[in-house]
Amino acid sequence: MFTRYALPALAVVAFSFAMLQMSKAQQTPPPVSPPVEPAKSPFGKQVSGAGIVEPETENIAVGTHLPGVVKTVHVRAGDRISAGAPLFELDDRALAAELSVRAAARESAAAQVSKQEALPRREELPPLEAKVAEAKANLDDKLALFDRTKRENDSGVGARELFDTRRMAVDVAKAQLRGAEAALELARAGAWKYDLALARAAVAQADAQHAQTRTELDRLRVAAPRVHKPGWTTPDTTPGAELVEFRVLQVNVRPGEFVSAAPNQPIVVLGTVGRLHVRVDIDENDIGRFKPGTKGTAAPRGDPATKYDLTFVRVEPYVIPKKSLTGGNTERVDTRVLQVIYSLDRADAPLFVGQQMDVALEAAP
Amino acid sequence: MTATAAPPAISLRGITKEFGAGDTKTLALADVSLELPYGELVLLVGPSGCGKTTLISVVAGLLDATRGEVDVLGQNLTRMRGGRKVRFRGDNIGFVFQQYNLLPALTAAENAAVPLLINGWPRARAVAKASELLTAVGLGAKLKSYPNQLSGGQQQRVAIARALVHEPRLLVCDEPTAALDAASGRTVMDLIRKVAVQPDRAVIVVTHDSRVYDFGDRIVSMADGRVESVSQGGRLTANS
Amino acid sequence: MNWVALKMLTGDRTKYLGIVFGVSFAALLMAQQSAIFCGLMRNTTSQVRDIQGADVWVMDRNVQFVDDTKPLSENALYRVRGVDGVKWAVRLYKGLARARLGDGNFQQVILIGVDDATLVGAPAVEQGKLLSGSLEDLRRPDAVIMDEFGWRYLFGAEPFAPGRTLEMNDKRAVIVGLAKCNPTFQTFPILYCTYSQAVKYVPQERKTLTFVLAKAADGVSPEELCGRIEAQTRTLRALTNDQFFWSTIGYYLKRTGIPINFGITVMLGFIVGCAIAGQTFYLFTVENLKQFGSLKAMGVSNWRIVRMVMLQALVVGVIGFGLGLGGAALFGYVFERLVTNAPPAFHFPWQVVVLTASAVFVIITVSAAVSLKRVLFLEPAVVFR
Repeated sequence: MFTRYALPALAVVAFSFAMLQMSKAQQTPPPVSPPVEPAKSPFGKQVSGAGIVEPETENIAVGTHLPGVVKTVHVRAGDRISAGAPLFELDDRALAAELSVRAAARESAAAQVSKQEALPRREELPPLEAKVAEAKANLDDKLALFDRTKRENDSGVGARELFDTRRMAVDVAKAQLRGAEAALELARAGAWKYDLALARAAVAQADAQHAQTRTELDRLRVAAPRVHKPGWTTPDTTPGAELVEFRVLQVNVRPGEFVSAAPNQPIVVLGTVGRLHVRVDIDENDIGRFKPGTKGTAAPRGDPATKYDLTFVRVEPYVIPKKSLTGGNTERVDTRVLQVIYSLDRADAPLFVGQQMDVALEAAP
Repeated sequence: MTATAAPPAISLRGITKEFGAGDTKTLALADVSLELPYGELVLLVGPSGCGKTTLISVVAGLLDATRGEVDVLGQNLTRMRGGRKVRFRGDNIGFVFQQYNLLPALTAAENAAVPLLINGWPRARAVAKASELLTAVGLGAKLKSYPNQLSGGQQQRVAIARALVHEPRLLVCDEPTAALDAASGRTVMDLIRKVAVQPDRAVIVVTHDSRVYDFGDRIVSMADGRVESVSQGGRLTANS
Repeated sequence: MNWVALKMLTGDRTKYLGIVFGVSFAALLMAQQSAIFCGLMRNTTSQVRDIQGADVWVMDRNVQFVDDTKPLSENALYRVRGVDGVKWAVRLYKGLARARLGDGNFQQVILIGVDDATLVGAPAVEQGKLLSGSLEDLRRPDAVIMDEFGWRYLFGAEPFAPGRTLEMNDKRAVIVGLAKCNPTFQTFPILYCTYSQAVKYVPQERKTLTFVLAKAADGVSPEELCGRIEAQTRTLRALTNDQFFWSTIGYYLKRTGIPINFGITVMLGFIVGCAIAGQTFYLFTVENLKQFGSLKAMGVSNWRIVRMVMLQALVVGVIGFGLGLGGAALFGYVFERLVTNAPPAFHFPWQVVVLTASAVFVIITVSAAVSLKRVLFLEPAVVFR
């Protein structure tokens, strides 16, 4: 019984079990679709690259002329500001004090000029005129004495010696009169013109120094650059219409912080409001397949379903070492890329500057 | 009684059988000529090595004679090809062996049915027919027994039933009683006598057991590959 | 007569069981060893099978197998995207990282960084490979998903709970999910994270991109796409999933002694099976020689005898094969359930079944042939001696 039925039955059971196990191993799992469908190429032949969103004017990293401690920040990230609007101010106490000194120096120089211009001093003339009158009177006196002596002498009455004395006294009196009159003339003439010119020059210098300090003070107040709208041609009567409007992209400073004038230190980053551009990196191996002027599409990372049409703007003519955009903690240079600028056709695209895009460009046929 | 006009069941003419070749060549049968009729029990007797076994092997188509002509049941075996000879054996010859040669895995009834199965009968019918025959030979109670559950005599009776179940026209028995005690031997020979011998069937029994000589209608005694003598047996013919 | 043959076969229980045991032992040994071999070889490609969703793997020209990582320039991704016929292409990081565990020990882990945006290559949710957590969790900072074996390997029987932390390259990694991964060859835990995370978890290298996974556009076959990618980029190599699977296995077959060792064991199983089954069957036949002789005398042709013996051989072959194969499958079944902290190396493809069946067929044919030689050359006249 065992050998004839149980054993074959056992074999059948064992074999079925083996088949079951085998079919389990044989099962091909159902196909897997990506959790998020990746961006697809819209063109038959295409050149792909990583793109990064930037404003039309590129990013403007505003710097400062002078190092210093920040006093006030006028903008916040996201603000829309017009060109020329103040961005932040540095501490200006030292320069303000200097400005007062300069102003005082200017006042002083101006006073000098006024003083020179005010000469002659009226109170100085009467004594001098009195001196002249006195000298005249003295001369008259001496002349009278001399005349009498002369008559005496001519008459031979007087002594010769007296006559000489009297004549010399007249000469002295005449000289005294001339001296007095000259002194009066000097006083009457007022300031010397050269003195006046000197004083005026001092005023100009003080003025200039004052203006210099004022400029220095102005430089502590950093404002948005006055950038003209791209392709601006028709003059507009309204002032400022030719200037772009900015959006504050990034503010890297807060009051009390020290900023230096070192390069590559974006304190405030500005971008224009309006159309966005995409800067596309094309691998050097693919440059031959890229033709300037072709269309393109871009999809933001993480949202491959949303596609934005791109229009060619220009090619950066210099092939640069590629910056890795993978979020690594330092930049890795591994290859060189050609950078091509495309503009986003949609003006109101819900994209942010700096966002990475997967870009597909139509390849050269 | 055998009708002399009827053709013989077996006709041997100048049968010579040699084994081996060259120096080791031995002569098993030397120019044997013999005719045996239907309806008789022929005993083939003689000492060991006299050529009895070779002779029945040639008669049963198991060995080819070196020279001579063999006609069995009207067919010339000498010119018969291998495949036909096998079929001829299966259809026309029944065998009883000294050691019974039953299949130990089969019951008595199944063993007896084997020749029918060889001839392509369905199993149930074959076993049914074999069972009838076994009942006829007195083993009705042992149909489901396996050979190792049967005595020697019973086994040989099963073997006889097997040899006859397909109703062969020639029955060849090789020392059917040699392994049996006297009583069983007699029973077996009785059975062969009673059941096997039919007017249209030739029966050859090889034996050197003198106790069974009585059962033969005709005794062919052999020595050294030759037929010494052919004599009438000690018993009357079956139908007397 | 087939019935007689079967009765003859089952009549001798000892020999019958002996033959069946011999055959089934051989089948068991061959099937089980082949299955372990297949499992091991298959384990070498576990990541190829785990990372699904794309059609084509793009790698450096010199990559030989999946663990042979030769980083590419980041731009390779865009060069692949520029190939005509690419529906999409994403980046993939795959490498080894050294994780520092809470207890201060270090553990090598397999780090897989999937594309940040699309998460292509992350555990297949459709196939239920994500046991705990959600794929979106990968986007959380410092988030990683660990594989089940890795968890058991590191934390033992402790049930999974999100929030365990590791440290890799001095960066924190928080386990937020549990994935079911195919067992790996290296047996290291597997960590899934986003590509940008993965880059931070390994010491800085100049290049980090390991693979680009590409999907063929509709109407483009993966093979065709591979050709196009290789033709256009020239420095890259592109393989379909299947090609990568087989090239990885090919590497291990060529470069390791594994196939030789297992080949020897399978050979031994075959020889032992041949010996046991063949000898027992031969003895069985020789013992039945007399019966066969009687049957031949009674008019059974040689051809009929051949069929009978072949039937007997076939029956023991089939039964032994079934038992042996079932035993091997049971071994695998039990093995996979008992050994939970190590990835099992047991794979049971139809090829193993076919191989075992062929070997068993050879065994029984050889056994039957040897036995038949005796039976066929048997003179039926022996029955009279």
